[in-house]
Amino acid sequence: MSATGRPVYLDYAATTPVDPRVAAAMAQCLTLDGEFGNPASASHSFGDAAGALVETARAQVAASVRAAPAEVVWTSGATEANNLAIFGVARYYREYGRHIVTARTEHKAVLDPCRELERRGWRVTYLAPDSGGVIHPDQVAAALQADTVLVSIMHVNNETGVLQDIASMAAICANHGGARLHVDAAQSVGKCAVDFTHLGADLMSLSAHKVYGPKGVGALLVSRRERERRTRVQLTALQFGGGQELGLRAGTVATHQVVGMGLAFALAAAAPESEAERIAVLRERLWQGLARLSGTLRNGDAGHSVPHLLNVSFEGVEGESLLTAVRGQLAVSTGAACTSALREPSYVLRALGRDDILSESSLRFGLGRDTSERDIDTAVAVVAQAVSRLRKVSGS
Amino acid sequence: MNYSALTLQYFETAKGAGVLTGPDVRRGAAGSRTHGTWVQFDVQVDGGIVQAARFLAFACPHTIAVAAWVAEHAVGHDFRAALPETVQNLSERFAVPVEKRGRLLIIEDAWAAAAAGALRG
Repeated sequence: MSATGRPVYLDYAATTPVDPRVAAAMAQCLTLDGEFGNPASASHSFGDAAGALVETARAQVAASVRAAPAEVVWTSGATEANNLAIFGVARYYREYGRHIVTARTEHKAVLDPCRELERRGWRVTYLAPDSGGVIHPDQVAAALQADTVLVSIMHVNNETGVLQDIASMAAICANHGGARLHVDAAQSVGKCAVDFTHLGADLMSLSAHKVYGPKGVGALLVSRRERERRTRVQLTALQFGGGQELGLRAGTVATHQVVGMGLAFALAAAAPESEAERIAVLRERLWQGLARLSGTLRNGDAGHSVPHLLNVSFEGVEGESLLTAVRGQLAVSTGAACTSALREPSYVLRALGRDDILSESSLRFGLGRDTSERDIDTAVAVVAQAVSRLRKVSGS
Repeated sequence: MNYSALTLQYFETAKGAGVLTGPDVRRGAAGSRTHGTWVQFDVQVDGGIVQAARFLAFACPHTIAVAAWVAEHAVGHDFRAALPETVQNLSERFAVPVEKRGRLLIIEDAWAAAAAGALRG
């Protein structure tokens, strides 16, 4: 248990608590004495004030990821941003080609749109990672076809924390000419440096609630850069009814949400490097503690991952029982789909070569701002006890 | 996944987890670890009456809980292929979701295997 009497929270990769400063800023946009106006209302000062806050937030998000403010399109989250990017590119360039490249380890918010496009006649190549979870840029190069219109590769994997070499992939896509690069960066901000301009991606999805901002808001970065061999990326909008966000995302912009995202991103960008170092030390402490158990396997290449995530499989333990055994004291997630009565081993870990049983018997530890040494030591003790007990019960 | 209080009680205590040895012990197992559910019973029998029972289970909490309950409640009863309660009754007693009720058949198969002496330890 934590000092608050609640389970120790180690699921920061799933979501983060809203920073109190962010919550306060959001609250100022809701009530009569605050900036509650419609940011699109140009006929009075209420709208002007709300509009100014929206643009300040846009500038904050842009600055934190080295993008231009005009490249930020607000969405309801990374899932919508991924859908807008994938369907938007596919529809706009459908006369040029109907081939897409992505990876087996992508989030469902990328895989499911790709599968839907397959049902509609597009062809999709799913790249397999190496055993460490890395997609090598030469795999992308080899997968490109003459009619490839989109490559969608995530920056930081949500289960393993493995980082991909986006800059090299962007160069490959730029050289191809027709392939646009979309990057799901929902797990990146606040965990590693994100430089949209330097990475060279055409599109990048962002989420607020992974960065101590509110749920229900995100953004799609749409590059406005002209390239040597091609014009800047274009999208077909998916929803209509007001022309907001340059016609790419109709609907009244939720001032309080984007204000929260803007401040959350600004705070993340201002965090000292020592915080990442602190998290890295804690993760190593966690891994070293868990590795003292026999049959403990680390998932994902530790040399290519952000410090905030650790994914471990435990031999001789059934996944649902492991999660149940620790859940009273730890808030973590598992490779299994624990919300389902039927087990579903993690497809991400299976893509790394783990078998079904090890894919199920994994725990994902997400570390964050409030994670302490005491939390880590508690986690090690709780997991060690649970694994030992379940191995005894199973005779392993 | 939500579990009933009884399920959590038997899962967390897992009373009766372990093995028995001796000439009067019958062992039966069913299921497969590689398929996610495996259960084994050791049953000590004297004069046709269950004297003690132990179980091992590589399984979900519902399966562990029911196996533990079976091992506990079989003691003192005639040793026969049937469980102390029907699978249907055990499903209801432990509020096993319908999607997982097939796993209780693995418990039943393991118990029946012990009764048949098919996998004598």
